[in-house]
Amino acid sequence: MSTGSAEQPIRRIVVVGGGTAGWITAGVLASRFPQRGPDGVSVTLIESRLQPPIGVGEGTWPTIRSTLKQIGVSETDFLRECDASFKQGSKFVDWVDATGPDAYYHPFTLPADYVDHNLAPYWLEGPRNASFANSLCFQTRLCDHSLAPKKITTPEFAGLANYAYHLDAGKFAPFLQKHCVDKLGVSHVLDEITDVRSDEAGNIEQLLTKSGTPLAADLFIDCSGFASLLIGKHFGVPFISCKDSLFIDKAWAVQIPYRTEDADIASVTVSTAQSAGWVWDIGLTTRRGVGYVYSSNYASEESSLGELRSYLDARGDLSSNLSFRSININSGYRQQFWSRNCVAVGLSAGFLEPLEASAIVMIELSAKSIADLLPGSRSGLTHAARIFNGTFRYRWERIVDFLKLHYVLSKRSEPFWVDNTRAASIPDSLRAGLEYWRQHCPWHEDFSHREEVFSAASYQYVLYGMGYPTESAHWLLSEADRGRAREKMGETARQGEALRTALPGNRDLLGRIRKFGLQKI
Amino acid sequence: MANLVALNSQAHRSMRVSPLPIRELAQVNVVSVIPREFPRLLAYYPVFFVKNRESGRFEPVALLGFEPRENLYFMGERWDVDYVPLQIQRQPFALLPRGGAAGEPASLDLAIDTHSSQIVTEGGEKLFDEEGKPSKYMENMASMMQALVSGSSEGYAFTGRLVELGLIESVELNVEFVDRSEKKLQGLYWIAAPALEKLPAAQLAELRDHKFLEWIYFQMASLSHVSVLVARKNRLLSGVSL
Repeated sequence: MSTGSAEQPIRRIVVVGGGTAGWITAGVLASRFPQRGPDGVSVTLIESRLQPPIGVGEGTWPTIRSTLKQIGVSETDFLRECDASFKQGSKFVDWVDATGPDAYYHPFTLPADYVDHNLAPYWLEGPRNASFANSLCFQTRLCDHSLAPKKITTPEFAGLANYAYHLDAGKFAPFLQKHCVDKLGVSHVLDEITDVRSDEAGNIEQLLTKSGTPLAADLFIDCSGFASLLIGKHFGVPFISCKDSLFIDKAWAVQIPYRTEDADIASVTVSTAQSAGWVWDIGLTTRRGVGYVYSSNYASEESSLGELRSYLDARGDLSSNLSFRSININSGYRQQFWSRNCVAVGLSAGFLEPLEASAIVMIELSAKSIADLLPGSRSGLTHAARIFNGTFRYRWERIVDFLKLHYVLSKRSEPFWVDNTRAASIPDSLRAGLEYWRQHCPWHEDFSHREEVFSAASYQYVLYGMGYPTESAHWLLSEADRGRAREKMGETARQGEALRTALPGNRDLLGRIRKFGLQKI
Repeated sequence: MANLVALNSQAHRSMRVSPLPIRELAQVNVVSVIPREFPRLLAYYPVFFVKNRESGRFEPVALLGFEPRENLYFMGERWDVDYVPLQIQRQPFALLPRGGAAGEPASLDLAIDTHSSQIVTEGGEKLFDEEGKPSKYMENMASMMQALVSGSSEGYAFTGRLVELGLIESVELNVEFVDRSEKKLQGLYWIAAPALEKLPAAQLAELRDHKFLEWIYFQMASLSHVSVLVARKNRLLSGVSL
């Protein structure tokens, strides 16, 4: 067989990099194409050395449940081994303005009747006795009381409210690794890549390694993190910076022990606005992960660290004897993600501030998309790449829009926040949306893709959580929907109350799962 | 509220207990059972599995009725079949953990619910004789409690293995009564017969060696009593005395 031939089949896949991106991608591909050997597909993951655990608590999206289920891991094992807890959404504190306490939820459960009816206009025109999320989503009540989204009798991956997880990324990758190698037949190579060999057409043929054994494959997945070994260094695909829209470029991260053994584990990622960014607060089973992401144009390393300490002090956490780690954030993504026979997934493809936990969901979507698009031979690569690049360019742009949305709606007065509302920093697509949403509540048709990372529901939660003044034309509203909205709001309150008494606390349930496990059925 | 007190021959020397099940305890529509009872349950009761509310683990239960507090076997203030599940028979006794430093298994004392209306002043069974030695009745109750404890572990070992082998599946029980009313019962599980049929011989042998195979067939055979239970309900609905 001549190399470089268009008919050369694609059956050997090499994943470069063994972090979260690498192992999720390997797991998704290996479980989708389970046949190994001469009649199947081989999946090999190469990493230069076992990564030391980073140990930042990470948030996910509910898609992670179907991803884990597809890969074939048990939810019980995952929760136990990754110190994972249940995440039911995000809570934004002090984002609206800093004049008094303000907070709103962006829960994972969709607003009542969301699939068929847009009830947001009817909440807006009503007395607004309760917040938007509280009126149309029962889940806020569970979050208020740190309750779990399920019971011990609920089967694995099922829930009474929609949920994702907070997890320890340092434990997640090794957990997936073990499953991928032991159960899915993924080959794991520990070696350092020294060079990349291409054929005349520009496709990667082999990775040369320090040990001297070259690694040949038909498709290469670049999960090498910020190093971006293949898509960046080898192919030289340009990086598109988003720093004109998203100002965050630095972070302080720290691990905090719980004050008591039985302290509540929060149901949400709490994001609290600060003078030049925001603090994340994520509760795992064993500890909390807290960090301040900020813009170095508006705060120094010292002043931001001081702000983070004040955040901890105000909550009664001891801010002494902690080790604070500084992280650089370079917001942006590649111009292309799929080039020739190479696809970038994870940090090598792009990174944005973790405001809405978009990192892992983008990995899942990429892995799934590669599996869906994978052509049988090289002749299909160009077209697959075109589709993939179009879809993911769209997704990154929409995520930038959605993250920026949180900032442009703020009325905070610090320079960081004021500058964030400057028109020049707002992407055109978001500006057009904001203009439209002055007289129309976001709805399905506003977004064109089959799988939007952030749907109209997310936009509704953020817009109306932050008090956006949409005024729908009264002649476009209907009496029937008005009645329906009233009914659904009553139902939501009753449902929330019923679940509030029926569901256990997060810590209680996670303790039981540790002890008894969850049933698969 | 139950008030469990460990029994001792001084304090409870003259206590008397009526062994007949009473209404307040009988008003349940499922009662947890142990595999050792299966042969005797098989005469009257349908046996299913449900998830324990505290642990989510599967345990065998006898189904007694279709509504939350409906026991179609307890009619006219008495149990109207010859065999009463041990979990009912053992009332008003229980086991109470005692001592046990942190991490050490506590020992279990036989205890009684002093608020139980089964405690009577006349008639019934004495717990201790004149010299303070346990009566035959109390000895029986003590061994019944022990049987329930070990039986419960056996039950969990049984269902745990069934789950591992994919032999338990959920079932929705849809019944229609004589008055045309319908009832859907959810949260019940039974043996997945198709999975059992395909089970490799080695695993069948393993099930047999642990008596699990026998218990599986008891469970499956007991399901014929669902229609008996429906018939009981129908007689109740049409006002026919049982």
